[in-house]
Amino acid sequence: MSSTSQKHKEFVAEPMGEKPVMALAGIGEVLGKRLAEKGFDKAYVVLGQFLVLKKDEELFRDWLKDTCGANAKQQGDCYGCLKEWCDAFL
Amino acid sequence: MASMQLTDEELFSELKRFGFTPGPVTENTRPVYLKKLKKLREEQQQRGSRSGKTRSSGAINSTTGGGNTAGSRPASHDVTHLSSNRRPGRKSSVLGFSSDESDAETPLKRKGLNHSGRADRSPGFPQQPKIRPVTTPTAASKSQYGAGSALNSSSSSLGPDGQRGVSLGWGVRARSSPEAEGRDYDESGDEDDYEGGTEKNSRSLNGCGASHLITSKLAGDYSDSDEEEVGGLGAGDRQRDRLEPRRSPKAAFPSLGVGRGSQTGGAAREVNPPGSLNMVGSRREDGEEEKVKRRDSDSSGGLRSHNFPRKSIYVSLAENHGREAGKNNHVDSEDGSSRSSSSNRFSIGLRPRFSNYSSLSQPYRGNHSNHTAPNHSYSQAALKQKLSVPEDELLQQFKREEVASSGSFSAHYLSMFLLTAACLFFLLLGLMYLRMMGSGSSEPSVVCKNHPLGSKFDDYYKGKPERELILDLLSKLHDHLAHIAGQHDCGDQKYPNRSLSMEKASAYLVAQNQTFEDFIFICLEWVIRADKDVGIRLIGQVADEPVTDPSEILWLESTHPMMPFTCRFRRAFLIVISRVFLITVVVGCVGSVFCYVKYRWRREEEETRQMYDMVERIIDVLRSHSEACQENQDLQPYLPIPHVRDSLVQPQDRKKMKKVWDRAVSFLSANESRIRTETQRIGGADFLVWRWIQPSLSCDKTSLMPSKVWQGKAFPLDRRNSPPNSLTPCLKIRNMFDPVMEVGENWDLAIHEAILEKCSDNDGIVHIAVDKNSREGCVYVKCLSAEHSGKAFKALHGSWFDGKLVTVKYLRLDRYHQRFPQAQGCSTPLKASSLHLNTTSTMDTMPYLQRHGSANSSGFS
Repeated sequence: MSSTSQKHKEFVAEPMGEKPVMALAGIGEVLGKRLAEKGFDKAYVVLGQFLVLKKDEELFRDWLKDTCGANAKQQGDCYGCLKEWCDAFL
Repeated sequence: MASMQLTDEELFSELKRFGFTPGPVTENTRPVYLKKLKKLREEQQQRGSRSGKTRSSGAINSTTGGGNTAGSRPASHDVTHLSSNRRPGRKSSVLGFSSDESDAETPLKRKGLNHSGRADRSPGFPQQPKIRPVTTPTAASKSQYGAGSALNSSSSSLGPDGQRGVSLGWGVRARSSPEAEGRDYDESGDEDDYEGGTEKNSRSLNGCGASHLITSKLAGDYSDSDEEEVGGLGAGDRQRDRLEPRRSPKAAFPSLGVGRGSQTGGAAREVNPPGSLNMVGSRREDGEEEKVKRRDSDSSGGLRSHNFPRKSIYVSLAENHGREAGKNNHVDSEDGSSRSSSSNRFSIGLRPRFSNYSSLSQPYRGNHSNHTAPNHSYSQAALKQKLSVPEDELLQQFKREEVASSGSFSAHYLSMFLLTAACLFFLLLGLMYLRMMGSGSSEPSVVCKNHPLGSKFDDYYKGKPERELILDLLSKLHDHLAHIAGQHDCGDQKYPNRSLSMEKASAYLVAQNQTFEDFIFICLEWVIRADKDVGIRLIGQVADEPVTDPSEILWLESTHPMMPFTCRFRRAFLIVISRVFLITVVVGCVGSVFCYVKYRWRREEEETRQMYDMVERIIDVLRSHSEACQENQDLQPYLPIPHVRDSLVQPQDRKKMKKVWDRAVSFLSANESRIRTETQRIGGADFLVWRWIQPSLSCDKTSLMPSKVWQGKAFPLDRRNSPPNSLTPCLKIRNMFDPVMEVGENWDLAIHEAILEKCSDNDGIVHIAVDKNSREGCVYVKCLSAEHSGKAFKALHGSWFDGKLVTVKYLRLDRYHQRFPQAQGCSTPLKASSLHLNTTSTMDTMPYLQRHGSANSSGFS
């Protein structure tokens, strides 16, 4: 998507540190809660999963859908956010 | 699927088999990879089924084109590319003809190439005859050929390296030729080929001859008719090509190497009488042999060559070229061979024609045997075979489809016909029925035979001639009355009255027959006396009273009105319509009522759900507020209701949620015991407020929060992330606590307890030491034996404890004893002091744990 949300911009602007998982673009309260229940309480844990899946878009999106039930837009937002973060900081 | 029982390694290797390199398979990624595996398997099945079809149709491809697509795939595509491309490609079947997904793939990649190839085709062809003689010198300057000089490159690519193979003047070929540039081998082959001058022999045959033929063929459209121009050769070629691919799939020949191929090729050529299959057959063999060497590339090439429609058989062959070229890791031989194979294929197809055209094949035999290129061409031929097979199949498929479509077409008409026939039948039936009803039997004889006046009439008038008269009279009267009644019923204005007066009836009957006059009364008498219904109603002075005497009759009316046909039809139609309408109205009413009820019910449910949701939110808000109040004594322990509402409900929703809110408020006041509704004065105004009256649950809360408990495993332990066997009896456990955060004197004992409880099944732990000052939160454990420590390792490593991921390492025993000399003497297994499991998923009630809990509750969000 050409346009990125405010959340995305904020997230990608700096190292994520201890930001909660809800700071990720595409992850709101509900999804954040579901992810936290599964143990992904911090954004870096989701980043870990993203890296374990070798930054593959399809796999990450599938995983996200299975884990917290994100829809396509949310998946895309989250993936884009993490990818850009990785490009910038990793 | 059986994938459910796959271990991680198996899953990993399965995915690798499809050419997809997965990341680590862990708990989290396992389902994702399982799905991916399923998808890949389905794709493979699809591809396998489709490739069978395309292979047969490829025969047609190879017959004409060969080498068209030579340069189309300069890029090397390894299997990964194949699989990764398949995904996007699968969905886009670019070309109408090819149904193979790999075909669909390749257009994505070769789009540009194809376009250029096609574009080059047309300009290339007219040049072909001219350029051919020039090819030899141009061989060296192949690299110069860009897309535009497709022809040159194609013709030059006929060289032994086979890259040129089928020189169809495609731009694609031009690209392939630059690839071949670097190989002297190829160039020499090219030049050798051209020494001969004619296109007959394998490579040159493939190239020049093919190009020649192609030009002629392409003179028209790139269709079968072109081949027909060339004569029956095209068909023969196609057949041959069909044969070829059939053989090629069975090929399992060991790759005998280039030399042999060339020899056989040469031999084939020598034996080749014009248009005989021998050459083709031997070519096939050679091609197969060669093919075996690069089976993978061939197959994928063959598959990918199916991209193009029948017409672009040339293109597909060239594609094959290019693909093989691209795919092969080995620069020279592989690429050359692949290209030569495709060119060979082409040459096979064209060979009969060539032989017809010229008899210059002999001089080339020697040349060819020298070149390794012939082998390439043979392999190309093999590839071409593959191409031809799918092409064939594709064509056959289309023919079948056409037939099927025509069949379905007629089937469609058949069904329509049947439908109309049925409708007509019923229509006729209805009409006949109406007509029967409408028209009474007007034959007097019939009336005479079956008259309703009864047996007494018969007895009375037996033998008397009056009988017929009376009956005749009766029938006439009846008909007349029926006619009148019918007309009246139909709305005919001529007869405003349904019934006929006596005078009029008599007048009518007299008009019919003078003799009737006397018998009118007698007849009427008999009608009165009739036991059966005559169809005439006699009305006297007083209606509804049966008439006993003919003199009383004033009106005659028919009870069986006879209406004209159209009238009947119309009435019937109207009746039917009205009835149907009525029924639909009734059904509609019932349905609408039902739907409305359902809608209301659903609305009700929705509102109730919203109300409960709102109640929960209010409770949460109040509870958190009360907790905040406890910590911050400045706040009032109650909250005004409107404030709560405004904080929970967005301004734009307030109007919508008003009803829900009100219900929630009333629910709370009725059913919630922890919230008290009262009136308070805030800022001078009276507010209805809610007060949370449950005593604070802070200690409960913190005890509910996980503190010093084990929270499950982060990853399954397997060979990859843990040593296969336990090495020493001593363990170093990291990240069990944070010394800065720990509060209290005995938290290390809690750690002891935690470890002992976690390893409660393992009674071999003899010494535990918590390093209070370590920043990493280290705990040292010594066990009775390596086996015990191994068990402890499995139990502890990778678990979550108090929000932290615990890791375990083995320590050398001597180091351990150095550090903890007191441990040397320990040999009694330790046991958890409290028998009920404190640290495993239950609430802690110990006071020191509470303190820690509150301190550590932030650790786990």
